[in-house]
Amino acid sequence: MLENFSSPYDATVVRLLTEAGAQIVGKANCDEFGMGSLNTYSIHGPVVNPHQALNSTVPWTERERRSAGGSSGGSAAAVRAGLCDTALGTDTGGSVRLPASYCGVVGLKPSYGLISRWGVVSFADSLDCVGILGKSVSSVERVFGVVSKYDPKDPTAATIETRQKASRACIQSMDLWGCGEGSGPLSGLKIGVPQEYFPAELNDKILTPLRTVLDGLKSRGATIVSVNLPSTPYALSAYYVIASAEASSNLARYDGIQYGLRVDPPPGSDTRKVSTVYSHTRSKGFGPEVQRRILLGSYALSADAFDNYFLQAQKVRSLIRSDFDRVFKISSPLTATLRGDISTAHGPAKTLGVDVLLHPSAIRTAPLLPNPDTTGSKESNDLDAYVQDVLTVPASLAGLPAMSVPAGLGEDGWPVGVSVVGQWGCDEMVMSVGKVVEDVTS
Amino acid sequence: MQVRTTACLFSRFTRYRGAHTLRGHREDPRWPGWAVVVGIEVHAQIKSRQKLFSNMLTPEPSDSPNSLVSPYDAAFPGTLPRLNPKCVELGVRTAIALNAEVQPRSAFDRKHYFYSDLPSGYQITQHYAPIATGGRLPLSNSDTVVRITQIQLEQDTGKSTTDARRRTTTIDLNRAGTGLMEIVSEPDLRSPEEAGDYVRTLQALLRSVGSSDGNMEQGSFRCDVNVSVHRPGSPHGTRCEIKNLNSVKFMMVAITCEVLRQIKLLEGGLSVPQETRGFNEDSAETYALRSKEDAPDYRYMPDPNLPPLLLDKAFVSSISSRMPELPHVTRARLMSRGLSERDADVLMAIDMGREVGYDGVLGQGAVSYFDVVSERRDPKVVVNWITHELLGQLAVRHETFKENTMTTEQLGELIDLVQSGKITGTSGKTILRNILTSRSHVMPSELASELSLFTLPENGDELEKWCLNAIEALPEQAIAARKGNTNVLNRLVGHVMKTSRGRADAKAARSLLQKLLNQPEP
Repeated sequence: MLENFSSPYDATVVRLLTEAGAQIVGKANCDEFGMGSLNTYSIHGPVVNPHQALNSTVPWTERERRSAGGSSGGSAAAVRAGLCDTALGTDTGGSVRLPASYCGVVGLKPSYGLISRWGVVSFADSLDCVGILGKSVSSVERVFGVVSKYDPKDPTAATIETRQKASRACIQSMDLWGCGEGSGPLSGLKIGVPQEYFPAELNDKILTPLRTVLDGLKSRGATIVSVNLPSTPYALSAYYVIASAEASSNLARYDGIQYGLRVDPPPGSDTRKVSTVYSHTRSKGFGPEVQRRILLGSYALSADAFDNYFLQAQKVRSLIRSDFDRVFKISSPLTATLRGDISTAHGPAKTLGVDVLLHPSAIRTAPLLPNPDTTGSKESNDLDAYVQDVLTVPASLAGLPAMSVPAGLGEDGWPVGVSVVGQWGCDEMVMSVGKVVEDVTS
Repeated sequence: MQVRTTACLFSRFTRYRGAHTLRGHREDPRWPGWAVVVGIEVHAQIKSRQKLFSNMLTPEPSDSPNSLVSPYDAAFPGTLPRLNPKCVELGVRTAIALNAEVQPRSAFDRKHYFYSDLPSGYQITQHYAPIATGGRLPLSNSDTVVRITQIQLEQDTGKSTTDARRRTTTIDLNRAGTGLMEIVSEPDLRSPEEAGDYVRTLQALLRSVGSSDGNMEQGSFRCDVNVSVHRPGSPHGTRCEIKNLNSVKFMMVAITCEVLRQIKLLEGGLSVPQETRGFNEDSAETYALRSKEDAPDYRYMPDPNLPPLLLDKAFVSSISSRMPELPHVTRARLMSRGLSERDADVLMAIDMGREVGYDGVLGQGAVSYFDVVSERRDPKVVVNWITHELLGQLAVRHETFKENTMTTEQLGELIDLVQSGKITGTSGKTILRNILTSRSHVMPSELASELSLFTLPENGDELEKWCLNAIEALPEQAIAARKGNTNVLNRLVGHVMKTSRGRADAKAARSLLQKLLNQPEP
């Protein structure tokens, strides 16, 4: 659809990076419009995961072809292969964290509203975040410092005031680390492990690296507790309804009139209705996954389905948010502002809550890329792909900062990532814990 | 200030409360035995400098096609909306003017449909939570009060023009994304004439608060009307919507045609199917556009980019205190200064023609002209000069008040000269004509002396010189006058008048002579 399109303006993130002296070396492959978890829905073909076992001597062409994850698979692969220091991606439901986990790099999805979306092709506006991928947490942090700026061009950007409020609460809480009960540099840091993040689909061969991380954190003084986020099982369905509904709306603009691909109706075809004229362009220009989601989303917004699907999904979304708010020590500066109740945002931290959550980033290591020769069991493959997002979408629905950090290799020798999730605006805290995870696993 | 205005509005409206339900059926000779019900949806373009969600300028009809289009207006990928606060302010002004309740929380939704002049595939509107609800508009020509259901802010579309012969459609996106106010009335209108009155009253009100220039011909004010007929005493009939009516006259004709069409169907034993209809101005007929079954599913969705619009009471009060005076307040104020209803009407009617500038800045009209001139002057005298002399002379010249070149300072001084007797009324009119003809910025006093129109030389020394001269010339009479002989004083005045060639004011000369004679001799 946009193959030959070039934008007449720069995205805010690109402008900020360029102004800070960064060199943009290229554009990376990704799933079409960010829709996909394996980076297989791309006109450029799938991204092959560049990970290779340290002792491997197998030549490139004979190696196992595994997925780099999606949708920002190209960005993760570029970092993993050393083509660049850091890369940007977009994360709507896990599109930065999943590829980071599969490729063995760091991937941050910041708090929603911290990085400007001006210039980001919208998939689902209420979920879309610009994410950062890098070899290390500190490289991600460096880029984050440059691009996390208030931008008046983004109507969903967090205000400077809200940022400061969140940052103060975050620093206050982090200042207590090392001063709590027990000993070690992380005493006072309380980490929650959500029970619901170990679903049946989770491959238990990835659990060893996670245990290593938890042991390491404990040995440095952190407290590990088990927490419940009971609405988690409904998150995936709610996510696909909301994301698809917004996508069906956002992608309505690709009609072959102003820009992008245009397919003229063949001679003799019905041109009485505008929509039938557009359908030629849209049928040709959108790939199968995009078309599937537009249809799903249009249905969810139709008068008959709106209450049962879209509104229901919004209710689940607010349940997910309150699940998180219940377990975190720090109150959300967003809800506090909305209630006009600022005092709770700065008030004494809830003693029972956790600072961050920690869970596996994905249910498995990178899956094999589908063999182009086998066409069977297509449908089950598609469903498998949706399940890849099961652990990443809750943080997206709640707009929370979440970072996948490499935690070593699974039993199959492929990278495993663990995710650190914090309260809204606690991106610094998430990165800080991420550095410890790096330290523990190195 | 705000409290008083509201209270005033309230008392004005309580008079009419419930009027619409109490209104009995009035037989219309055009359709005896039938009652007509009309409701109107108005789309008024917000007169803001920039568009509703982008900083591109709002186009004028003269702008060349596609010259005022930002990447956002053309729905380029990655662009995001940014709400223009001026549009909100003008929407709030409109709500206040319609006595509607500004909602503390309103929100924006997307209405989806595919059309070539709608580049994003959706229109941003306020479907679920409009900016204001529950207003009232008293009509100018009757005691009827029309209830306003709600006011929504929304985007306008571009314009597409189809050339059937060349089988091409051209699209102009200048208008795409400009701000509209959708103002929805309850079905409170009972005839085509009332509908016309409603639209004209609403136009005038929007113009008076500067929120829209209300120009139907140029498409900045468009109407959709809902029409139904029923037998008096029975429930309302099925309504049909007639879309895109572009003048008050055609709207009234369209309603009349639609009423007659529906009556013909019903009298023929048929029913009126609910549908959307168009109007053909040439044949004066409405025609079916689409039936209820074909009504599109707009798949309304809250816009995920735009946070809810939160407007607190303090904000509404601040808009209220800064906005232009509402027409009925102006009328009351003018009449409280002693103007007749007729004079107030004349000034306000001329005021309607004043320029509605961008972002709620209004051009100077007759009322503010009057306000400036009548400051520290007799309002009745000033309004007479404006309505009789100034407007009369402009009419003679086939000029409107907008073309008037006479400044408030000029008219003010002119009135002062006449009122103080320094020039006669006739001379004043001569000077006014002279100023308008020569489009002169010279002050009337200068012109008066240039044209030797002063009843008295402007220099007081001159009069004193003439008086001293008279005393010197008639020493005996002066002595007699000093002793109190008034007849002799008249002779001295006569001498002054003679030497001044009639320009001196006799009264002034008399008092000055008395003053001079009563002074101890040097």
